[in-house]
Amino acid sequence: MTKKSFTLLLSSLLTLSMLSACGGNNNKEAAATKDPGASTGTNTTATTDPAAEPEKPTEIKIMLPLNTTDTPPDTIKTEVEKVTNTKLTYQFFPADTYEEKLNSSFATGSLPQVTYLKNQTTFLQMKEAIKDGQFWEIGPLLSEFPNLNKLKPEILGNTKVDGKLYTLYIGRPLARQGIIYRKDWADKLGLKAPANTEELFAMAKAFTEQDPDGNGKKDTIGVVDRNELVYGAFKTVSSWFGTPNNWAEKDGQLAPEFTFSQYIDTMDFFKKLREGGYMNQDFAATSKTDAVNMFTSGKAGLYIGGSMQDIDSLNKDLIKNVPDAVLDTHSMVAGPDGKFAQWMIPGYNNVVLFPKSAVKDEAELKKILKFFDYMMTPEVSNLMYWGIEGTHYTVVDGKAKATDNKELIEREVKGFKDSVIGEYETNGMYQSLNVLPGRIHAEELVLENVKYGVADPTAALDSATYTSKGVELQQIIADATYKYMYGQLDKAGFEKEVENWKSRGGAKIIEEYNAAYTK
Amino acid sequence: MQEVTAPPRVVPEPQPKKYKSSSELKKRLWRNKLLYVMLIPGVLYFIIFKYLPMYGLIISFQDYKPYQGITGSEWVGMKHFSRLFTEPDFLNILANTLILFGMNILIYFPIPIILALMLNELRGTFFKRFFQTLVYLPHFMSWVIVVSISFVMVTMDGGIINELLAYFGFSKINFLLSPGWFRPMYILQVIWREAGWGTIIYLASIAAIDPGLYEASRMDGAGRLRQVWHITLPAIRGVIITLFILKIGSVLDLGFEHVYLLLNSMNREVAEIIDTYVYTAGLRQGQFSYSTAIGFFKSIVGLIMVMTVNKVSKKIGEEGVY
Repeated sequence: MTKKSFTLLLSSLLTLSMLSACGGNNNKEAAATKDPGASTGTNTTATTDPAAEPEKPTEIKIMLPLNTTDTPPDTIKTEVEKVTNTKLTYQFFPADTYEEKLNSSFATGSLPQVTYLKNQTTFLQMKEAIKDGQFWEIGPLLSEFPNLNKLKPEILGNTKVDGKLYTLYIGRPLARQGIIYRKDWADKLGLKAPANTEELFAMAKAFTEQDPDGNGKKDTIGVVDRNELVYGAFKTVSSWFGTPNNWAEKDGQLAPEFTFSQYIDTMDFFKKLREGGYMNQDFAATSKTDAVNMFTSGKAGLYIGGSMQDIDSLNKDLIKNVPDAVLDTHSMVAGPDGKFAQWMIPGYNNVVLFPKSAVKDEAELKKILKFFDYMMTPEVSNLMYWGIEGTHYTVVDGKAKATDNKELIEREVKGFKDSVIGEYETNGMYQSLNVLPGRIHAEELVLENVKYGVADPTAALDSATYTSKGVELQQIIADATYKYMYGQLDKAGFEKEVENWKSRGGAKIIEEYNAAYTK
Repeated sequence: MQEVTAPPRVVPEPQPKKYKSSSELKKRLWRNKLLYVMLIPGVLYFIIFKYLPMYGLIISFQDYKPYQGITGSEWVGMKHFSRLFTEPDFLNILANTLILFGMNILIYFPIPIILALMLNELRGTFFKRFFQTLVYLPHFMSWVIVVSISFVMVTMDGGIINELLAYFGFSKINFLLSPGWFRPMYILQVIWREAGWGTIIYLASIAAIDPGLYEASRMDGAGRLRQVWHITLPAIRGVIITLFILKIGSVLDLGFEHVYLLLNSMNREVAEIIDTYVYTAGLRQGQFSYSTAIGFFKSIVGLIMVMTVNKVSKKIGEEGVY
């Protein structure tokens, strides 16, 4: 008897828990489907009452990645809707899982009218679908919109697919990377900002050996790097050495950067740094967080490769640990041949697409583009980038000074900030007011960098093999690069890996890029 | 998973005898109607979440393009499977996976059993509970945290273990980057995080043993060790075998996150496993068909392994999982 009732209890419990689980799912779905319902609801009210509004607000659904934990409230959105006469529905999805969401929405044909991608990689993956005609071409329409027409042609060129423009871009400075270093250490040891790679090496060595923090112990290192060849120190230093930006012409043909002798020189540079103990020994396994922690705890003196604009946040954390630390930025480091060079990104960090499955005809597309045209006025771009004046920022000397309440900005503005099209030169928004001398210096250097900028000649070129296998193949080179820097591969061994890369598809990539290049 | 498979076992079905007439069967069904109704959610769960998604396996035989859908994509037969088997690194990746799996079975698997036996010998409820809680708490930390903690401990740049080694005059060891240390680090982390959690089921089944058996054996002069050997272990043998079979089923499925966090350019030759390969080749590059084909391959291997072990266990007179 007792056994039976126990069985009954158990199974009913199970049933209950399962029912509730199903119920939970249903609720979620209901909530998800509620959104379009709600917007169509407002749609009908708008049409039944046309006298109230001179022109019916354009309804636009926008999907974009969210870099904060919570979806922002409607504070900014409501303002933007008022100014642009639109009815906006934002679908925010966490940036971490955005690719997944993008792929599944795409596979089910449920992308909204305005689809932000995540970065250049997702753009690369979409190229095939773009060529297949799944998205609207906007190039020919751009001239009808005075503000959109201001977008920089060279950056638009970098986002073209088969020579046609399908996207609007979110601009980023072309070359923000450089050195953030401990100026107080350098001053103490009587060092100047390194003018060339030799001085850079000497600085790393001095920071390690000459006890710059003056505690009598040998507990500091020069450079802190992380497990990332592109956005870590490697690529930046490599461009100072004169290595091309991904690809360059060699004997009349495009060749990948790792076939150039400067690439080997850079590897030797890091090998020497590591062997001398002038950089963190575990850099091939160090995450960005760990690298940043090492720097902000006052253990390392040189942070290379990241955006120099990060100096604000690094400084904030560093002076918590070392109150009298002083940071500065630097980027003009000459190579062994005495020349400056700086690699550049293609000028955008994300793009927007307009799926044909959601935008019915050209008339609708034009309405949406009109919204983006509005977005590129100083009024709207300031609203979306800086927030509401007086609440989120104030204007000082014609520049925006964000409020000290960082949480408020994070919560209400950040979500929209990452969707602003163009850059301040084209959309007329305020530049930021900087107070930290190192940051002001960084802004000058960002402009200076571009003068010596090296562009990636393949940015606007296409290679089918690269699209399908490039990332996987690049791993071979990245592994070989690290093994060389750790002394496990010699030059011959490295070149063997390059041959391996070629035989597994690299040769085809070279061929395809060259075919596209000479076209 | 386990809870879901439970209902059919909880409801003791009468052995399918030959019924004299269908009316008798109907009567029996009707009598237990409530139990059958309770079965419905479970069955629905399996149909909706386990069987219907299998439809998606089709894409491993296609060059799947999201915008063309399953119906519109081109059929390519076994292309993706043959690509997998001819990939230069495939044998290496498979070997890495199998070695890690073997370590899981040989080194990790017995530890929760031993731990449970040891905990069971602790006298005093307070200590027993205290230690049990202590050993199973790590289970609630994510792999990111576990790996970060080990990173901080073993890094060459001031990690406590390397500092100790240096202090005692040994040379520092690059745990994080040397291929030789990857496997020991991996299995130690698995043990640290999972062993305590794994004891729970064993402890529960030990608790169910009739105390009379121990009393009787004590009368016969059996010591602690003899009791463990002749009473406790045989009593939990069924549970051990069931868990073993279930473990075998996940042969190629070691969990992506943990290995991916430990993986770096320097230890890739021993650390790249099927799961991490699927991530780099499949998901990051958007090769849906290829990664589905690999997943498919993994499931089939798992299925074959479970069926084999189950059969073997029945042959030697044990119960098996089905």
